[in-house]
Amino acid sequence: MPQNGVCIRTNHLNKTFGPIPAVRDLDLEVHEGSRFGLLGPNGAGKTTTVRILSGLLIQTSGTATVCGFDINTHRDKIKAVTGLLPETPGLYSKLSAVEFLEFIGALNGYSKDASHRRIDQLLAILGLESRQDDLLESYSSGMKQKVLVASTLLHEPKLVFLDEPASRLDPSASALVKELILALAEETATTFFVCTHQTSLAEDICDVIGIIINGQLMTLGSPQEIIATAKAANLEKAYLKIVGGKVDRQALLAWRA
Amino acid sequence: MSHKWFAITKAEYFVLTSSLRPHRKIWMSILLIFGLIWAAYLAPLFIGVVVDFIMPLSEFRGLLLVMFPGLMRAVMFLLFMLLFLMPLSYALQEIKIGQWEILFSNNVRTRDILIGTFLGKIPIYGLIILFLAPPLISVFFLAFEVSLLGQALIYGTLLLMVVTTMWLSNFVTAMIQSKLGDSPRGDDLAKGLAMLLAVAITCPMYGLMFFAPQLSSILGMNVFLLFPFTWSADVITWLAVTFNGLGLAGIQIAAFQDILQLNLATSGLLMVAFSIACLGIGLAGADRVFTLRMGARTETITTIRSENLLLRGMRRVAPGAFGSLVVTAFKDFFRKVQNLSRIAYGVILAVIFPFLISTITFIDASGVDLAILVLMSGIGMTLIGGMTFAGTGFLESKNQLWIIQSAPRGGSRYIKARLALAFLVLLPLTLLPVLVTTVLNGLNFILFSGFFIFSYAIACGSAMFATGLTALNPNYDDTRSPEHMMNLMMSIMVPEFLMMSPMLLIVIGAIIDVPLNRILVNIFGVFGETSAWAITSAIPILVVSGLVVYLGTRSLGQPEY
Repeated sequence: MPQNGVCIRTNHLNKTFGPIPAVRDLDLEVHEGSRFGLLGPNGAGKTTTVRILSGLLIQTSGTATVCGFDINTHRDKIKAVTGLLPETPGLYSKLSAVEFLEFIGALNGYSKDASHRRIDQLLAILGLESRQDDLLESYSSGMKQKVLVASTLLHEPKLVFLDEPASRLDPSASALVKELILALAEETATTFFVCTHQTSLAEDICDVIGIIINGQLMTLGSPQEIIATAKAANLEKAYLKIVGGKVDRQALLAWRA
Repeated sequence: MSHKWFAITKAEYFVLTSSLRPHRKIWMSILLIFGLIWAAYLAPLFIGVVVDFIMPLSEFRGLLLVMFPGLMRAVMFLLFMLLFLMPLSYALQEIKIGQWEILFSNNVRTRDILIGTFLGKIPIYGLIILFLAPPLISVFFLAFEVSLLGQALIYGTLLLMVVTTMWLSNFVTAMIQSKLGDSPRGDDLAKGLAMLLAVAITCPMYGLMFFAPQLSSILGMNVFLLFPFTWSADVITWLAVTFNGLGLAGIQIAAFQDILQLNLATSGLLMVAFSIACLGIGLAGADRVFTLRMGARTETITTIRSENLLLRGMRRVAPGAFGSLVVTAFKDFFRKVQNLSRIAYGVILAVIFPFLISTITFIDASGVDLAILVLMSGIGMTLIGGMTFAGTGFLESKNQLWIIQSAPRGGSRYIKARLALAFLVLLPLTLLPVLVTTVLNGLNFILFSGFFIFSYAIACGSAMFATGLTALNPNYDDTRSPEHMMNLMMSIMVPEFLMMSPMLLIVIGAIIDVPLNRILVNIFGVFGETSAWAITSAIPILVVSGLVVYLGTRSLGQPEY
């Protein structure tokens, strides 16, 4: 269970793949009921961090607790109280949305009857009820993402890891997911750990943001604090200042010569 | 304008030789040089030594001369099947319409794609022929004492036949790919088709193994003169006869004319005409036949109906989460065409095997040899259990694995459900061959029951091995990966070896004077010697497969390092 209101605590967490460091000395505290955003460019170590914290990947060194459980010794307990939305959909193409969600429910120990009420409600909220019996192979990538969001929330986890939750969604679906996250966080004290490189998403839903570059946490604070510290107009500009995203227009066209 | 087909040829060649990538030029040069030396010098030398070792050539030269026309037709038939169906089956396992879209968007004509992909395949398939053909043909070169010119013409004929077949295969492959399109549904259909093509290749091979004389005589029938592989085979035979160094007389040549029926000029003309026709149809039809359709994703939406009686029954028997998982596993398994192909493959094997067993086990009129029946049936069941559940159809992607692993004990629950699926699917797949065998051999009910229990145990053991191994070494749905090949081969070979391991031990025991046979009969032979054989054959598979499932479950549940 969460201790002293802290849902995630990492201590000098490191992960290397061969000679390549993916996460470096990560010290982090995420509070219960908060919406934490881990921002960073592609390959910064966001997905690796989520996989370690959700018990799918073993860290090279360091320790961490998730919902009060040690990631080295209580992985199954962590999995029971967390939900993970992976970066890319791993759906079963030959199952319908209802069948896939029933499968996820069963993996978490729920019978058909126990999970179907939730499945119906989640699919209705996400606007998929008219296509719920169609095979997932015929779904668009946005629809698949919605099914994955439903599968993540199905067993009512205390902590939800969302890896690029809105990357394949259209603006209205993206707004719906944002509202869903905000409502769940406020009404049920669910903690959200959101990995993204979309600054607008992070700015809209996260109360605390960490910016990670090359596996190292560079900045931590509320969106307003980060904007103020970087002396930028908004989070996107602050992010570009921190990450170093200045574009040289001359260099962009040099290849044509 | 640059040659677009040449760029495609290079790309295809690079893909096919990707395993040699660091030193591609050096390796391919070495292989080509060695291949030429092998074909021109080493293979004839080697075959000559082997033939002399077995028996002086002069003693069976006559037999070789008589065999040559029929055997050449059989070999060319197999070669045609192999060259036509293998690339087709291989290509269907990975539909590459995405690449076509890139090519079309770069203003490439379909004809260029066809020529490019075809020419790109020639070096690799050419090398395969260069290495495989000489050992087959050399013995006849020696028997006929074919001159160097004759040998060159025979290899030229073989090359024309190979190139024509590959062109045809390339054309048909591209046509099927363009129709199925790049979609999960089309991909699934293609994989299913690829699996059935494997049956089409395997069955004639098995047939040739068991019924070579009959097949040779069938291929000698007039109807086969309609097939292009016969024309190539007959041209080769005529070239060997024409350029012989034996001084064959007119009457002997007339005998060949009686067997082959068409003369060298007619067969040669038909062969060349066929090659030109294939080339013409391919080039002319390319831009008309290929219409890139985005396939089933946008055309067909499958909506699920209510569950059938079997699934509802399963839910009633197991109403909890496990029942839900098994039902989901059933739905996923039976909706994939590739799995249905595997089942079809299993059913074909299941029906063919009892007939093969019956032809072997009726040693004399006194009745059936039960021990051989057990052994042969066991081999059949390892094939059915292993083939149906090895490799693909377990996990579609790594992302799916992440989803399963993110549930507490998700891997373990998943494997249990998959095993329950396998055990249920294997019930009818075992019952079918056992029933056929029972009827064919007139077994009584007790023997039928014992035979069924043994066969089912072997099939389930093999399926457990295949499932455990795939969990240990997931290949997802990539049927072209080395992992898939390993899973498939091991899932068939290891259970077969395990089943036969007690027999090997008995043989070793006999050599070192330990009566293992008697010991095993004393322990397991409550119902007689055959039951002892059956039990001792099944135990190693069940024990080892149980261990592999345990290791696979552990591996699937473990976080990655």
